[in-house]
Amino acid sequence: METIIKVDHLIKRYDTYKRGSSFKESVKTFFHREKIPVMAVNDISFVVGEGDIVGILGPNGAGKSTTIKMLTGTLYPTSGNIDVMGYNPTKNRKTYVQQIGAVFGQKSQLIWDIPPIDSFRMNKAIYDVSDQDYNERIEIMSKLFEVEDYMTRPTRVLSLGERMKCEFIMAMLHHPKVVFLDEPTIGLDVIAKQRIREFIREMNSRGTTFILTTHDLEDVEQLARNIVIINHGEKVFDDSIDNLKKVLGAKKIVQLVLGKPLTELYIPGTEIITRESELNITVSVDQDQISITDFMTELSKVCTFTDISIKEMPMETIITHIYQYKKEE
Amino acid sequence: MKRYLLIYRECIKVAFATASTYRLNFFLNSVIMLLGDILFPLVTILIYGSGAGFEGWTIYEVLLIQSVFTMSMAIADMSFHGIMWATMFAVREGNFEMVLLMPVDTMFLLMAKTFSIDGIGLLFGGIAIFIISLINLTAPTLIMWLQFVAMFVVGMMVMLGISLIMAATSFKWVGNSRIPEIFDSLRSFGKYPQSIFPKTVLIVSSYVLPVAMIGFFPAAALLGRGGYVMFYAILPCVLFMTLGILLYRSMVRLYQGVGG
Amino acid sequence: MNYIRHQFNIMRAVALVTYKEWSAYRTHTMVSIFVGPVYFIVQYFIWTAAYGGKSEINGMSLTQMVTYFGASTLIGYLTMDFADWNLQMLIRTGKFLTFAMRPINHRFFAFSQKVGHRFLGLMFEFVPCYIIFTLLFGVNMVPKHLGWTLLSVALAFLMNFYVHYILGMTAFWFIQSSGIRRVFDLLAGVFSGVFIPLVFFPEAMQKFLFFLPFPYMSYVPAMVFTGGFKLGGVTMSIPLIVGLQGVAVVMVIGLCSLIYRASMRHFSGVGA
Repeated sequence: METIIKVDHLIKRYDTYKRGSSFKESVKTFFHREKIPVMAVNDISFVVGEGDIVGILGPNGAGKSTTIKMLTGTLYPTSGNIDVMGYNPTKNRKTYVQQIGAVFGQKSQLIWDIPPIDSFRMNKAIYDVSDQDYNERIEIMSKLFEVEDYMTRPTRVLSLGERMKCEFIMAMLHHPKVVFLDEPTIGLDVIAKQRIREFIREMNSRGTTFILTTHDLEDVEQLARNIVIINHGEKVFDDSIDNLKKVLGAKKIVQLVLGKPLTELYIPGTEIITRESELNITVSVDQDQISITDFMTELSKVCTFTDISIKEMPMETIITHIYQYKKEE
Repeated sequence: MKRYLLIYRECIKVAFATASTYRLNFFLNSVIMLLGDILFPLVTILIYGSGAGFEGWTIYEVLLIQSVFTMSMAIADMSFHGIMWATMFAVREGNFEMVLLMPVDTMFLLMAKTFSIDGIGLLFGGIAIFIISLINLTAPTLIMWLQFVAMFVVGMMVMLGISLIMAATSFKWVGNSRIPEIFDSLRSFGKYPQSIFPKTVLIVSSYVLPVAMIGFFPAAALLGRGGYVMFYAILPCVLFMTLGILLYRSMVRLYQGVGG
Repeated sequence: MNYIRHQFNIMRAVALVTYKEWSAYRTHTMVSIFVGPVYFIVQYFIWTAAYGGKSEINGMSLTQMVTYFGASTLIGYLTMDFADWNLQMLIRTGKFLTFAMRPINHRFFAFSQKVGHRFLGLMFEFVPCYIIFTLLFGVNMVPKHLGWTLLSVALAFLMNFYVHYILGMTAFWFIQSSGIRRVFDLLAGVFSGVFIPLVFFPEAMQKFLFFLPFPYMSYVPAMVFTGGFKLGGVTMSIPLIVGLQGVAVVMVIGLCSLIYRASMRHFSGVGA
């Protein structure tokens, strides 16, 4: 796979100022402010191959969005290098952004009062897309997304899912080779999420490289081949999704509502991680040691429970696991 | 260049589409702006009506100045005034990245996107008073007309400069929606015959913050009363616009994190 | 007596909260410190030029004219009102219901808010501009009859509030009341005397203005400040015009109460 993005020792430092809360302090800060440097992104390097889908993961405030902003050229790094298709995003912004696409889940490009199709025409002009290409791409993408029916209705009457599909079309009209997605499925219902993921896979199979940030683990499991995990501005993991699974072990998180209190749970490969209350507990199950079916059989032997649900591993737990794994190495 | 014209055309189309969604609101706004327009010359008319006036200036000459001022305002409102609100809004909502993502000049795109036809009522009002005043004055020669057009364009540069400086301050002063009032108040020096002001004010209004170019100088050119001062004032006006552009651009760069 | 003390406590609490709430926007308010004086300077030059050598125009001397504009700017800071905007917003968003459920009259609540908000205006607009006008520009900003001026300003404060509250209540009846409010603002701009003293209008129109709320909002207190009152060819003594202003205020309060009651009936009937 050929390298399409190369990030080298990327650093972004912000200076914030200490602000006093008392009157005396606020008068003092009027004349002299104490600088406090904040490392939003601290020495991150990674590469992305052409045609890949890479997920950038991390808890809130880890530096994902800052990284994406720097990759899209809208924010300049404090130091370090970024190379995307031979372009340096900080130089020649206009020529660079012509080559890329971006969908920021919470920032809309569509114009509120008019139909998406009219907003598309705006981007057609901005990205200088020829009539022929434009018609062709609209045709293909609106079919893929099945948006033909509501593309001509004012944006404000569309549902969030419908709007999001149109955001994707708008961002890809100029046929970018690389597309950056920042929380693309945020706030969507399960079905809409699924449609967006299918679309991303389809466009990927046609050659588009995607880089997405998310804190929805499902997005990553279903889409990404490679993962970069960021925590407190630092890279803590950079490998394939299969290797991530190996690090994490095949663990499932099970939430139980018990019929009566339970002191210990003697099932191999199982441990209680939290006790929310006497009757509510969360258990982790290592699938390498015990299959979910066996676990269920054992469980019903040792206790009674009124409700059970299987959860994804939370981001914080994943990061703890990665740190542990690194220590063990 | 052709691409930029195409983008501008799209933006105008969007503005019309939006206005037609809220037809009633648009119509009402235009009418109210047109009526509000009466306020402009009202003070002048009432002053002259009560037997007083500005020495050396007939009522139609003063109305001509004020109509030119109104037309400048209207064109600025329609074409580039929105950049300040757009900038303030985008910075506050954290949407400015979406503009930076576009492969065209940021300043241009924000201006184009905020094209608004709401100012059309104001423009018509200005043109009406302009024509009424001209009918009552001696017809200007071709040279005067040419000078007028040139001065009017230079006046637009000042308006552009003001808009950009306002927009630039809104990067730092996010959320203070009263910034435009500061510039509105300063602009009001431009809509009266400059001879009523003392020398110090004249120097400021012609050269430092050249608001005289917005209404007074173009009208004076049409009346053949501009004099050489008018031509000297062109340079500061161009500088003023350049300052606005540079300031805005540097604020964008600062936003992107060059300065830290 | 207890009732009055309770109401006073409510007013003080609401005013204080409003004051604190808006203190965060001090810089907004302080824009006036720049804008007010700039407009004043422009007016000053316009009128100095307009008077030329004349001793008076429409019965007003240049000094009186300059004082008039100073006073009308300063009085504006003390009486400015946007109760209409607040109220229509509450109605449109459905938040008015939260007042209908509390043991408080919204009109009284809004009035208390205005007291708090204008106190902020007093601190950050009136006082600084007063200092600039008197010390920097050397304008004599001492009212001829302090007591009558204060009374007239207080009446203008009430007038502004009740008129704007009535405007706000139109939102109970119309979905889109912004048009009505904008037309009113336009009329108020022209006929309250902020742009030009009302004596400059044709005499018949001036006479008619006696029957409209606008002159009582700004023109009357500003003229009382300057020490002489004239409108529609009638010169009135200060006590007489302030008395007339009082009558106008009472009438508007009556009208406001009527509409308020009708609105409440409408509101409970339709819901909103």
